Amino acid sequence: MALVLSVLEQGFIYTILALGVYITYKILDFPDLTVDSSFPLGAAVCAVMIKAGINPYITLPVSFAAGGIAGLATGLIHVKFKVRDLLSGIITMTILYSINLHITGSQANMPIFSDDNIFTLSPFADKLGKYNKVAVIFIIMLICKILMDLYLKTKSGYLLRAVGDNDTVVTVLAKDKGIVKIIGLVIANALVALAGCVMCQDQRFFEISMGTGTIVIGLASVIIGTNVFGKLSFIKTTTSVIIGSVIYKACVAIAIWMGLAAIDMKLITGALFLVILVLSNFRKAGVDND
Amino acid sequence: MKKFLSILLASAMAMTMLTGCGGKIGEADGETDVNVADNVKIGIAQFAPHGSLDNCVEGFKQGLAEAGYVEGENLEIDFQNAQADMANTNQIAQSMVAANVDLICAVATPMAQAAYNAAQGNIPVIYTAVTDPVAAELANEDGSGVGNATGTSDKLAVDAQLEMIRKFQPDAKNIGILYTTSEANSVSAIEEYKSLAGNYGFEIVESGISQSSDIPMAAADLASKVDCISNLTDNTVVSSLPVLLDAAKNAGIPVYGSEIEQVKNGCVATEGLDYIALGKQTGAMAARVLQGESAQSIPYETISEYSLYINSEALAALNMECPEELKANAVEAAEAE
Amino acid sequence: MIKLAHIDKTYNPNTVNETKLFTDFNLEVKDNEFVSIIGSNGSGKTTLLNMICGSIPIDNGEILINGESINKLSEFRRYKRIGRVYQNPAMGTCANMTILENMSLADNKGKIFDLKWGTNKKRIKFYKEQLAQLNLGLEDKLGVKVGLLSGGQRQAMALLMSTMTPIDILILDEHTAALDPKTAEIIMALTDKIVREKNLTTIMVTHNLMYALEYGSRLIMMHEGNAIMDIEGDEKRSVVVDDILDIFNRISIERGN
Repeated sequence: MALVLSVLEQGFIYTILALGVYITYKILDFPDLTVDSSFPLGAAVCAVMIKAGINPYITLPVSFAAGGIAGLATGLIHVKFKVRDLLSGIITMTILYSINLHITGSQANMPIFSDDNIFTLSPFADKLGKYNKVAVIFIIMLICKILMDLYLKTKSGYLLRAVGDNDTVVTVLAKDKGIVKIIGLVIANALVALAGCVMCQDQRFFEISMGTGTIVIGLASVIIGTNVFGKLSFIKTTTSVIIGSVIYKACVAIAIWMGLAAIDMKLITGALFLVILVLSNFRKAGVDND
Repeated sequence: MKKFLSILLASAMAMTMLTGCGGKIGEADGETDVNVADNVKIGIAQFAPHGSLDNCVEGFKQGLAEAGYVEGENLEIDFQNAQADMANTNQIAQSMVAANVDLICAVATPMAQAAYNAAQGNIPVIYTAVTDPVAAELANEDGSGVGNATGTSDKLAVDAQLEMIRKFQPDAKNIGILYTTSEANSVSAIEEYKSLAGNYGFEIVESGISQSSDIPMAAADLASKVDCISNLTDNTVVSSLPVLLDAAKNAGIPVYGSEIEQVKNGCVATEGLDYIALGKQTGAMAARVLQGESAQSIPYETISEYSLYINSEALAALNMECPEELKANAVEAAEAE
Repeated sequence: MIKLAHIDKTYNPNTVNETKLFTDFNLEVKDNEFVSIIGSNGSGKTTLLNMICGSIPIDNGEILINGESINKLSEFRRYKRIGRVYQNPAMGTCANMTILENMSLADNKGKIFDLKWGTNKKRIKFYKEQLAQLNLGLEDKLGVKVGLLSGGQRQAMALLMSTMTPIDILILDEHTAALDPKTAEIIMALTDKIVREKNLTTIMVTHNLMYALEYGSRLIMMHEGNAIMDIEGDEKRSVVVDDILDIFNRISIERGN
C-alpha cells in the first residue's frame, strides 16, 4: 500500500510537469529542453521563499510565474531571434542553471526539513494521515488538469491548438503564430516549475541537479499516456497524460522492486516501457483489423 | 493475434499483482522481525555509482559484520543505486519505507535527505558520505540527530591538508581547486579552504564547472594558473580524475587528493579520508541502532583519524619527494590494505 | 483595389540557379473584380499570389491595397483584409480540431483571441446554416474532427472559413486542383456564389481553362512573368477554350517543346 501511495504521489507530481510537456511536445510540436531547468527553478523559488518564512501556498503561484518567465525567454529566443526550437530551449536551460544557483544564494542543496510546507499546513493533515500528501498533490494536479482542459476550450486555447495543428490557418486568421507559440511555452514551463515547487515540498529539499533528465520523464509520460489511452475517445488527452505519468512511475517502482542488481534498474524500466508501447500498438492493430 | 495479446496482458497483470504482493511480503517480514530480533532486513540506498561511495558501502557491510550482522546469515540487504538520478532517489527511499525495512543506510547527501524525508522518523536512517549534516538539516547545530537519523560525515581535513601541502611545497602561492557548482559538498569545502588558506599563506583559485564535459578546458586553464591543485571529493571531477591529472602533468604541477583512492589513481598525496574506514564506522553505528539504541540519541560522527597517504611514483614523476618530517607517518597508498 | 507597381522578383540571386521571374511587372485589380489567372508552370502565377500575401518578399516595386502600400506589413497582418484558400485542402483547416471548432476559429478572425469560450453557442445555428448550403451534410457532423473529412469536404470548409468574416480580397490558389472533377464543380459553383453574395475582389489562379472562362469578370494569361493576355467583359465572353489553347501552343512552340 505504501508503495502504491508512493507511485501515486510521484506520478501526480510528474503529471503536472507532463501536462506542460504535453503542450510543447504534442500541441506545439516543440521539443522544449527548458524543462530540465524550469523544474529546479520552481523548486529553488519554493525553497528560498519557505526559508524566508513565506506561506508555502504562496510559493505555488510564484513558482508558476517564475516558470512562465523561463518559457517566455525560450519563446522570445526562438521567435524573435529565429533560433531553432531545440537550441532555444538549450540556451535557456543553460542560463537557468546559473540563475537557479543565484536564487538560492549559490547553495546547490537547500533543505527545508524543519519548515512548514503545503502538506504540513494542509487542512486535512490530521484527518487523512498518510493519505494527506497524495490528497494534496492530487488536488493541485486536478486543478491544473481542469484549468488546462478549460483553457484549451477558450479562444486563446483554440489558437494554441491551431498553431500546433496547422500554423498556416493561424497566419491566415491574421494572427502572429510566433506569439501563440510563446504563450504555449509560457504556460508549459509555468506548469513545469509548479511541479518543481510541489516536488521540492514533497522531498523537503532543493537540489540543483533535480532537473536532470526531467524532459525524458515528461516525454515518456506523455507518449505512454497518449499512445496507450489516446485512442479511446471517452478519455480526455489530459487524463491520458495523468495515467501515462502514473504508469511511468509504476514502471520505475517495479524496476526498483525487482532490482536484482542495482545497475539493471534502468534496463528494466526501459523494457517495461517497451512492453507497454508494443502492447498498445498490438491493440490498435487489432482494432484496425476488426 | 488476440491470443498473443491476452498472454501479454496476463503477464502484465501478473507483474502488477507481484508488485502488490511485494509490498505485502515486505510488511509481513517487518512484523515478524519484531519477534526474531537477530534476523534483520536493511536497505542500502546509494546515490550514484562512484568509487568512494562503493567503498563506503563495502565498509558499512564490514562494520555490520564485525558487530555480528552478516549478510546472508542473519542480515538481508536490499541494495539500490539511484544512478545519480534525483527522480529515482525519492522512489527508492519510498520503496524501502514501503517494504518496512529495519533500517535504511543512505549514501551521499541527496539520498540521505530523500531517505530521511520518506522515513518520517518511523524507520531509522543511518547516512554516510554527507559532508555537512547540519547544512543538510540532518543534524542539529550541536551534532545531535534529528528525527531518527544519524550517520557519518566525510568532511575533509582541510586544515591538515593545507598544512601538508605547505610542507610538500614550501614556496607555493596558489592552490587550484576544480569543483562542480551543483555539488553542495564541494561548495562548502571550497568555503572552508578559502577561510583557512590564509593561515598557511595560500591563495585559493577556484574553477567551477557544471558538467563533466567542461572538465578538459577548465582543468587545462586552472593548471596553467596555479602552483598545485587540491582535489575534493566532487563526484563529477573525481569521475574524470585522469583528465585533471593529465592537465596537471602537462603544466608540471602536483595534484593532491582527498582520499586514498585518489592517491592510488595518481594524486601525489593526501591528508585524507579512507572511505572503507568511514563505512566501517557507519556500520558500527548502524549495529548500535539495530540493537535498540535510538538513532536520534547518537550524534553524527566524522572520521576519527585522518592519515597521510602518498604515491611515490607520482611524486617521482614531478621530481618531488615526501618531506622528511612526514615520512615516518606516510603510508604508500598502493600498499595500504 | 490592388495595385502592383514596378515589381522585380528574382529567385536564387547570384547563384547558378538565378531565375529572373518578374521585371517591372504591373497589375491593377479593381474593386469587385473576379480575376482568373492561367498560365503554364513557372509562369509566375503562384509567385504573384505569394507576393501579394507577403509569403515571399519582393525585390523592388510596391504593392498597394486601396492606395496604401502594404510592403512593410508582415504576412499575418496582410491577412486582416485577405482570405486565402490553398490548393492543398489540408492547409485551410485544422485536422485535429472539430468542424465546430474550426468554424469558431474562422468566425473570430479580426477579433481578439482571449479567454472567452472558443465556441459561442449562439453562433452554432449560423454555422449550421453556412454548412448546410454546401449540401455535404457537414451541418450534422459538428463534433467530427476535420481530419476525418474528404478533401472536397475540407476544401469546402476552407472556403467557408476564409470568407466568413469581412475581407477585401479573396485569394484562390488553384483551390480545385486537388479535387475530383465532380467535387471541383461543386466547390467552383460555391466559390462563385460566395464571391457574388459578398462582392469580393477575387484573384483565382487555376489550371482549368473551363473555369477560367466560365467564372470571373477578367482573364489574365501569364507567361514568363508577363501578362500576355488580359481580357474582360464582352471580349472575355467571346473567347472559347480553343482560342486559349492556340495561344498555349504558340508559347510552347516558341519555347521549343
